[in-house]
Amino acid sequence: MVDLPSPTQPGTIDAIAPESARRVRLRRFKELAAKVLSNPATVLGFVIIFAMLFMAIFAPWLVAPNVPDPYQMPRDWAATRMPPGTPGHPLGTTNEGGDVFYGVVWGTRMSLQLSLIVVFSTVVIGSIIGSLAAYFGGKVDEFLMRVVDVFLSIPELIFALAIAAILGPSFGNIMFALIVVFWVKYARIMRARVIQIKGSEYIDAARIIGDSNINIYLRDILPNSFTPVMVQATLDMGNVVLIAATLSFIGLGQAGIAEWGVLVSEGQAGIASGRWWASTFPGLMIFLWALAFNLVGDGLRDALDPRTEGR
Amino acid sequence: MSAAPDPHPTPASRPDRAVLSLKGVKKHFPIREGAFQRVTGWVRAVDGVSFDIRPGETVGLVGESGCGKSTLGRCVSGLTDVTAGGVYFDLPAEASRLLDNIASGTATDAEKARVAQIEAAHRIDRLQGAGYKRFRRNCQMVFQDSFASLNPRHLVVDIVGRSLRVYKEASGTELTERVVELLEQVGMGRQHLYRYPHQFSGGQRQRISIARALATNPDVIILDEPTSALDVSVQAQILNLLSDLQKQHNLAYLFITHDLSVVRHMADRLVVMYLGKVSEAGVTSDVFDAPHHPYTRALMEAKPDIEGAASEQAQGLDGVVPDPARPPRGCRFHTRCHMATPSCGWEVDDVIRRLEDIPGLFDALSGVERKSDFAASLTFGDAAAAERLVSILDSDGIPAAMRSAMGRLERRDRTVSVAFDEVPDVDLRITEPGRVASCVLSPIEVFQGVNE
Amino acid sequence: MMGHLETDMADAVRTAPATVASVRDLKVHFAAKRGVVHAVDGVSFDIRDGETLGLVGETGCGKSVTGRSFLRLLPVPPGILAGGSVTFRPHALCEDCDGAGCDACGCTGRKAVVCPSCRGQGCATCDGTGAETIDLLKIDTETLRKLRGDRVAMIFQDPGKALNPTLTIGQQVAEVFLQHRTDELIELAGLSPETGGALRRFARQDHRFGDGILLSLPPFRGQRRRIQAALDKMVARALAETQVPNPASLMDRYPHELSGGMRQRVMIAQALACNPDLLIADEPTTALDVTVEARILELIRDLQMRRRSSVLYISHDLSLVRRICDRVAVMYAGRVVEIGPTAEVFRNPRHPYTRGLLAAVPTADTPRGGLAAIKGTVPELVDPPAACRFAGRCRHETEACRRFDPTLEPVSETHAVACFIDHPAPEGDQPSFERITE
Repeated sequence: MVDLPSPTQPGTIDAIAPESARRVRLRRFKELAAKVLSNPATVLGFVIIFAMLFMAIFAPWLVAPNVPDPYQMPRDWAATRMPPGTPGHPLGTTNEGGDVFYGVVWGTRMSLQLSLIVVFSTVVIGSIIGSLAAYFGGKVDEFLMRVVDVFLSIPELIFALAIAAILGPSFGNIMFALIVVFWVKYARIMRARVIQIKGSEYIDAARIIGDSNINIYLRDILPNSFTPVMVQATLDMGNVVLIAATLSFIGLGQAGIAEWGVLVSEGQAGIASGRWWASTFPGLMIFLWALAFNLVGDGLRDALDPRTEGR
Repeated sequence: MSAAPDPHPTPASRPDRAVLSLKGVKKHFPIREGAFQRVTGWVRAVDGVSFDIRPGETVGLVGESGCGKSTLGRCVSGLTDVTAGGVYFDLPAEASRLLDNIASGTATDAEKARVAQIEAAHRIDRLQGAGYKRFRRNCQMVFQDSFASLNPRHLVVDIVGRSLRVYKEASGTELTERVVELLEQVGMGRQHLYRYPHQFSGGQRQRISIARALATNPDVIILDEPTSALDVSVQAQILNLLSDLQKQHNLAYLFITHDLSVVRHMADRLVVMYLGKVSEAGVTSDVFDAPHHPYTRALMEAKPDIEGAASEQAQGLDGVVPDPARPPRGCRFHTRCHMATPSCGWEVDDVIRRLEDIPGLFDALSGVERKSDFAASLTFGDAAAAERLVSILDSDGIPAAMRSAMGRLERRDRTVSVAFDEVPDVDLRITEPGRVASCVLSPIEVFQGVNE
Repeated sequence: MMGHLETDMADAVRTAPATVASVRDLKVHFAAKRGVVHAVDGVSFDIRDGETLGLVGETGCGKSVTGRSFLRLLPVPPGILAGGSVTFRPHALCEDCDGAGCDACGCTGRKAVVCPSCRGQGCATCDGTGAETIDLLKIDTETLRKLRGDRVAMIFQDPGKALNPTLTIGQQVAEVFLQHRTDELIELAGLSPETGGALRRFARQDHRFGDGILLSLPPFRGQRRRIQAALDKMVARALAETQVPNPASLMDRYPHELSGGMRQRVMIAQALACNPDLLIADEPTTALDVTVEARILELIRDLQMRRRSSVLYISHDLSLVRRICDRVAVMYAGRVVEIGPTAEVFRNPRHPYTRGLLAAVPTADTPRGGLAAIKGTVPELVDPPAACRFAGRCRHETEACRRFDPTLEPVSETHAVACFIDHPAPEGDQPSFERITE
C-alpha cells in the first residue's frame, strides 16, 4: 500500500514513541494549558484566584473562627472604629467593633461558596434546558426560548433585586435570586451550541454507526458544546460576587455576616469622617475577585476559541 | 485480511436479493413563512426515485448541484425520513415484485395482505430492534468533508473503534488490535491510533472515514462525494482503495458524485438525476456510449476530457435549474433542453421562465387568471402591452417547440389567453433491456440530436 | 521632429519581446509555527501577448499564491515576498490601426507602451526592450491601485465572496469605471474634458464634504444625471458582453439573488470592463456545475480572443487546462516543474510528476482499481532541503535526485522541465523513465 508519512514531526523521537490514549490526551491538555498560560494577564488572574482560594481554605488558621457561627462577624465592643495596624485588628475595626481582617478572610469563604453554588446550579439548569430546547426543537424550543427571552428582557441587577426584596434579606435568598437570574444565559449558549453541533456531519456519522442518542449527546455533543459554557461560567464566578455584593450593599444582605458587600455597606457611613478602612478592604477584595475571574475568563476564551481549537 | 469468520451472513450469498431497494422515494421539505411558520409550499428535493443496489455492485448517482442526489443519499442511509415511498433493506426479488405490483395497482388481495409483513421486515423506517440493528450495521456511509465528519475531540482509535464499542464486540486491547487491523486495510497503521483528525491530510482523513465504515463489516456503503475535496493524485489512491475493498469484502457501493470521469471509472450501473427525478439509468458503459436522455448527453458533452481531441467544443446549458418547489410539468428538463419537442410538457409558467428578463414586458400586467398549469389569461393595463406579448410569443422569441405546443394564443383587447396542449408527465420508460430514460424522444433521436 | 521620433520608437517597440508579464525567481514565504514555509520558491515563467497560460498543480503547490502576487494580494504578514520580480508591460491601443489589427501590432490591435525613460531605445529599466516595464512587486501602492482592475484584473473561485453583498451588481461594476475611466465617462456624458471640481470628483468616486449638496443644485444636477446615465450605459455594455440575459434588470439586483454561474459572469464583466492586458483567473469554475462551467469557459475564451488579453488560468483540473490553455506550467511544491505548449506537455510529459498527474485521472480505459496513484503526500515546505521536491514520491528517483536540486531547463525550444531525466545529473546515477525504483 501507499506509505504515509507521519504528520507530526517526522524523524523525531515522538514519531516512534509508543503512544497511549492517556498520554496523548495529557499532552493535549498540557499544550492547551501552556497556551492559556502564555498570556501574562491570565497568569495574574490565576495567581489572584489561587491566593483567594488559599485564604478561603485556610481561613480557620488565619483567624480563629467565631463561635458558634463562623460566618457571623465577631464583635469586639471594646475596640470600635480602630484604624488599621491596631494590635489584634490588623485592618482596623468597624463602627460595631467588627474586625475588618476577619471579614475579609471569612468573606472570601462566603464568596467562594456563593459563586460555586450559584454558577454550578445555573450551569446545570441552563445546560439541561438549553439542550432540551435544542434537542426537541419545534414547540418545546419555541416555548423555552420565549421564557428565556422574558428573563433576559429584565436587567440582571433589577431582577435579582426584586426577587431578593420579595424574599427578604438573607444570604440564601441572594443566592436563590442569582440562580434565577443567571441560568438563562447558559440555556441560550447551550441551545445555540447544541443546534450547531447537532447539524454537523460527525453526528450523522455517529448515527450511521448506530450509536444511541444518549451516547451521542454525551460523547459528541456535550464535550463539543462545553467550551463557551466554561468560559461564561468563569466570567460569572466574578459577576456573581459583584452582584451579590451590590445586593448586600443596598441592604438585602443578612446584617452582621462576614460578607464583603455587607462590610462595605457597614463601613460607608464612616468614610465621610475619615474611617476609610472598613469599606476599602472588603471593596478591594470584591474588585480583585471580579478582576481575577474576568482575566482568566478572557484568557480561556482566547485560548479555547472554537475557530482555532484543535487546528 | 480479516481472519475472523463473518458472524453476520451477508445477502451477498443470496444474489436474488437487493441490498437496498428504493421504491418511489420522495423527500419534500416544507417552505415555512411568516411569524407562525405556516407551510406555504414544498421543495421537492427528491420526487419519486426507484432503483436497486445489488450485492457487490457499484451504483453511481450523478447530477448537478441541487438535483437531490445528496438528499437521496441521506434518505437511503436512514439519516433522513422519506416523505413517501420507501427504502428497503435486503429485499428478496419476490417481495420486490410484490411491492411493484402494489404500486402499479395490479396486486391480488393475497399480496396486499403480505405488504405489512414485508414492510416490517425490510423497510428501513419500519424496522425494529434486531432488524434495525442489522440494517444499521450493514449500511454505512462516507461523507464528502472528511474534516467535518470526524469528531475533532476524538482520537482515531475512538473514531474507528466506536462501532465495536457500540455493538460490544471488543474492548481493551482486543479493540485496539481490531482497529489496527482496520487501519491496515485502508493503508494506515498502528502509529496513527492515537492522533486527532486535524493531524492528518485530507486523503488520510478519508481513509479513517472508510475504516470507520468498514468496522461494522457492512454490505453496502453510501459514498457521498468521497473524493470531491481531494486532489487528483490522492483521489486516485482513494478510488483504488475503494475498489480493492469492494473486491475483498464484496461490498456494494452507492457512489454519489458530480464527477463523470470518476463515476465512469467506478460505477457498474449509473443513475442520472435532474431536479429530483431520475432522467436516465443503465449500465455505465452503455450510458456513456449512447445517452438516452438529452440531459445526460449535455452533461457528458460539457465534461472536459483528458483524452480524445483537445479542441472539442463543450456546449454547456443555458438558463438556470428551475425552482424545485415548482418543477416544470412534463419532462423536467424541457426548459433547458436543446432537443425539446412540442410534447415535452410546455406550460404557462414557461412563458414567465422564458420571458421575464425582457425589460418592461410584464410591467403593465394587471391580472393573471390561471385555469390550469397549461392555460391562463393575462390581463394588461393597455392593449399595446398585451399585443407586445402576443407578438413575442408568436415569434422566434420563444423556442419553436414551445410555439408549436401552444394550442391557443389570442388577444381580446387587454387580455391575452394562452393555452398549451396538455401532456402527461414524462415517466421513466424502458428504452432498451436494462436501460430506462424519461424522454419522449427515442434513443436514436437523442443520439442524432434533432430539433437543434 | 516629433513624427520622426515616434517612428523610431515604434520600430524599437516592434522588436520588443511579445511578453505581457514575466515572473522571475519569485519567492513567497509564510511564517508558521514550525518555521518558514516556502510556499513559492523560485518560480519563473513568461506570459506572452494574447496567450492563455495554464498554471496547474495540486492543493498547496503555490499556484494561487503565485497568481495573487501579481496584484500583491497576499496577507502581509504572515505572507512575505521573499524575492524575485513580477514585471508587467502595459499595452495601449495600436495607433496605426486603432485596434483593428495591423502588421505593426501583430494583428492584436495593441502595442506595448513605450518605455518612458529611454523612449523605446532600450535602457536598464526596461531590460533593453524599449517597452515600459513595471515591477509589480516594487511599485508604490497608488500606482498598483491604478493598474489593478484596469491593466491587470483578477477573477476568483468564489464569486459569492468576492462580490460585496450590500451593493447592487450595477454599483459594483460601476466602481471599476469610476476608478479607472473617469475621462471616458465625462466624455460619454457629453461634458467638456476640462470638467473639474465636484463633477469630476463624482466621476472619480472621490467624494468630498459638501459635494452632495453642490451636485443637487440646478446646473450640476443635470450634469450629474448625465454622468450617471453614461455610467449606467457603460455598465450595461460591460454586462451585455458576458451574455447575461437582461443587463438592465441585472444591475439593480444584489449578488445573493443570482446563481453561481451568473455571479461568475458579473465577476468576469467587472474584470474585463477596462479591457485589461492581463487577466488572472484563479479557479473561476471550480464551484460551478459542469454544464455551467462549459458556458463560462467558452465566454472567457471568446472575450479573450476578441480583446487579445492574456490570461493566467490557475486550476487544479488538468482536463480543463488542456481544453482552454495555449501553454501550461505545472507546479509542484512551490516550483514550476514543467512548462510548454499544452499539446506537447499532454502528449509527451517529461516530468514524472506531470506523468503521474495525468495517469491519476480516470479515463474510459483505466481498469477499476488500476489508477496510477502517486504514492505519499506533498512534502511540507518548511525549510526544504536541496533536493528534487518530488524525490520520495517519484518512481524513477536515484541518489542524485535526493542530493541535488534540478532547475528548469529546456528540452526543446518551447518545452522546459526541471528533472534529471532529461538533463545530466551533477553526479551519481542518472534517473530515467525506464528505471523504476520502488
